[in-house]
Amino acid sequence: MPAPIIAARDVSKSFFGNPVLRDVSIALVPGRIHALLGENGAGKSTLINLLSGALPSDRGTIEIDGKAVAALTPAAARNAGIAVVQQELSLTSSLSIAENIGLGAYPRRYGFIDYGALARRAKAVCDMVGLDESLSRPVGDLPLGRRQMVEIAKALFREPRVLILDEPTSSLSAHEADTLTRLLVKLREAGTAVLYISHRLNEVMRLCDHVTVLKDGVVTADQSLAGTDADGLVRLMVGRDPGDLFPSWTATPETETIVSVEGFSSGPLKDIDLTIRRGEVLGIGGLVGQGQEDLLLGLYGALPASARRASFDGVPGIPASVPKANALGLAYVPADRKREGLHLIHTIAWNMMLPQFGRARGLSLRNRGKEKALALDLADHLGIKGDLTRQVQALSGGNQQKVALAKWMPSDPSILLLNDPTRGVDVETKREIYILLRRFASEGKAVVLSSSDTPELVHLCDRVAVMREGKLAATLDRDGLSEEAIVAAAMGAEEAAQAA
Amino acid sequence: MSATESETTRFPPRRISALLRNRAFLTFIIVALVWVVAGFAKPGFGSFGHLRYLLELAAVIGLVAIGQTFVVIAGGIDLSVGAIVTVSAVGVPLVADLGDPTGTVPVLIVLAAASGIGLLNGLGVAYLRVHPMIMTLAMATFLQGVLILVAGGSAVSAQNPLLHWFGNARPIGIPAGVYLWVVVSAITLVVLHATPFGARIFAIGANPLATALSGVNTRTTTMAVYAIGGLTAGLAGVLLLGMNGQGYVGIGDPYLLASIAAVVLGGTSILGGSGTYAGTIPGAILLVTITALITVVNASPGWRSILFGSLILALLLFSGRESRGR
Repeated sequence: MPAPIIAARDVSKSFFGNPVLRDVSIALVPGRIHALLGENGAGKSTLINLLSGALPSDRGTIEIDGKAVAALTPAAARNAGIAVVQQELSLTSSLSIAENIGLGAYPRRYGFIDYGALARRAKAVCDMVGLDESLSRPVGDLPLGRRQMVEIAKALFREPRVLILDEPTSSLSAHEADTLTRLLVKLREAGTAVLYISHRLNEVMRLCDHVTVLKDGVVTADQSLAGTDADGLVRLMVGRDPGDLFPSWTATPETETIVSVEGFSSGPLKDIDLTIRRGEVLGIGGLVGQGQEDLLLGLYGALPASARRASFDGVPGIPASVPKANALGLAYVPADRKREGLHLIHTIAWNMMLPQFGRARGLSLRNRGKEKALALDLADHLGIKGDLTRQVQALSGGNQQKVALAKWMPSDPSILLLNDPTRGVDVETKREIYILLRRFASEGKAVVLSSSDTPELVHLCDRVAVMREGKLAATLDRDGLSEEAIVAAAMGAEEAAQAA
Repeated sequence: MSATESETTRFPPRRISALLRNRAFLTFIIVALVWVVAGFAKPGFGSFGHLRYLLELAAVIGLVAIGQTFVVIAGGIDLSVGAIVTVSAVGVPLVADLGDPTGTVPVLIVLAAASGIGLLNGLGVAYLRVHPMIMTLAMATFLQGVLILVAGGSAVSAQNPLLHWFGNARPIGIPAGVYLWVVVSAITLVVLHATPFGARIFAIGANPLATALSGVNTRTTTMAVYAIGGLTAGLAGVLLLGMNGQGYVGIGDPYLLASIAAVVLGGTSILGGSGTYAGTIPGAILLVTITALITVVNASPGWRSILFGSLILALLLFSGRESRGR
């Protein structure tokens, strides 16, 4: 086996005391397509950032061509021939395709940009990735898939020895993905080391030679892909000890439907049939960005949505606006609480009152005494301690989340929509939130919990709807609920098995 | 769950030190200091007649700045207030008095028109999603064009008993315009700080997205805010007409910068979401005081303008810089 171009040896990284990677080793060898697999939050992106010098590691070493590099910087990584195609595109939409491809490495002549040389070299890489657009077109005009190809062309422009691709096919059409596959095979023959991150198992099985699996920041597999099956890989990615984190609860017996939609479409969502029952916690699972947020916002009236048939608590149709949704008993707790959920510069008590302010009609006066009493009650109920006249931004993530939940309590919603409510929340608060959600369900309300945390879905939900590419991939009942089943449905393991 | 904590730990009483960090209060202190120093330094400045005159001038700025305070707290800006002041000052004489001997009807018509202009601003911002700066600037330019066509370059005199009274009467020695300002200010403070509508304005300015997701109808609130902006600018315009006796194109122009400066001097965040009209009041008084002091300096109008601009900048550097931690 040839010597690795870049290798990480026992690297560890934590953010704010949370370990994200623990003693991870990986070696990228020329002429090999190396797959990196793991669930959301397993540490894949952090590992890429360490390899590309975007983040320093806390412990361990990065070696380039067998020599340990003390502190790898992005510039040093680029000079060593390491190119990364990020998941979030880093293109400048007002610049042309050629300018984007060459950005930061423009060929020069007499101190000026040599546009002739730039066009020639950009043309060469575009031919490789199958981009036939005019090179002078602004990138902003291109559809997402084409932009992804420009991003890949940009990486190739620097003639990398190591090419790292973070979910490159998530926005590509089948044809574009095929072109990419052929390109990667060609690069492998030419001796490039490729690190390939994808959530599409069939793609990985077809294309890659070697696999590293991360689970909770630890390597659980580092092996050749030959002779491995898709189910085996899924098993290596999941499985955690739920411990005492989750409260025990008894499933509510099957009850009446409170929300039903048929042929629901909103944004990238296509033709979804969904029922939500009173007294249940319905989980929404899937990889990040498969349309879970669009589903919640569509139901909540915050995004334009349509449906063949819809009924909310007996009222036909989808709520046309957020106030209308609130009137029907819906409440929404967003994922990005700082941007979408809270008013950071306002006080805790004020934040808890906001939905009441929204509901008030005309020029009524506020009742400060009532507001105070209500805020005190909510704070005690949810265990928010201390001075309630502090700005919300002074609180920890967990307590902020409690405020975001607390503000809906006075409205007594019958359908609670939650978007990843435990992200960035400490373990103790997580448990409190879980208890709260189950209590909500036991009171006969409906809870819809979209989560990127698979154990949460398994241990807290009566049913889990798994989404993939804007569609419902599967709806799992309590009996068939397991991390393996959710991940398998999220990644399309069945299709991979059928294809193999 | 935690043990219940007492109400005083949950809502601790405000301390004196908090008052010293209160921008509205500090602006009041600055005004008082300037008045005392100027009163001693220059004979006549501190006389009742002069201070009364300053308050009368401040009333016009203060009224324009009410709408500006609402709009800025809601996260926007209204660059059309100057034009709306002109529209109402020129508009009253142009509207037929409809046989009303008191002159109330034309004033009401003009105020309704001013509110309507504000509502159009709000419509553009809320529904067409035009940036407030562009929307209100375009509105100002449009209005100026209309004014030139309708009124031309000549001044129009008003024969309106109601406005004459507001511009000249002095019940108990205090100008009627100042009474008007006091009453409207009181209403403003109640609406901003004691109604759910006021709370919605602060919410929109601090985080429009979170506000919408909390069930607040942000469009209606935005439109109401700009309509208030038009209404108070219109009110300032008719008061100005009463004090001046005649209106002309351009009469409202100085009030655009003045209203924004009064708002910011009073501690309202230009980024939206926090502030109070209680700060804008001393802000407006401070502005007219500075102008009066500059007139004392024997300088050409050009130099006076330069001095005025520099002083405002200096004051804002001293007290009005936004904290960067957002």
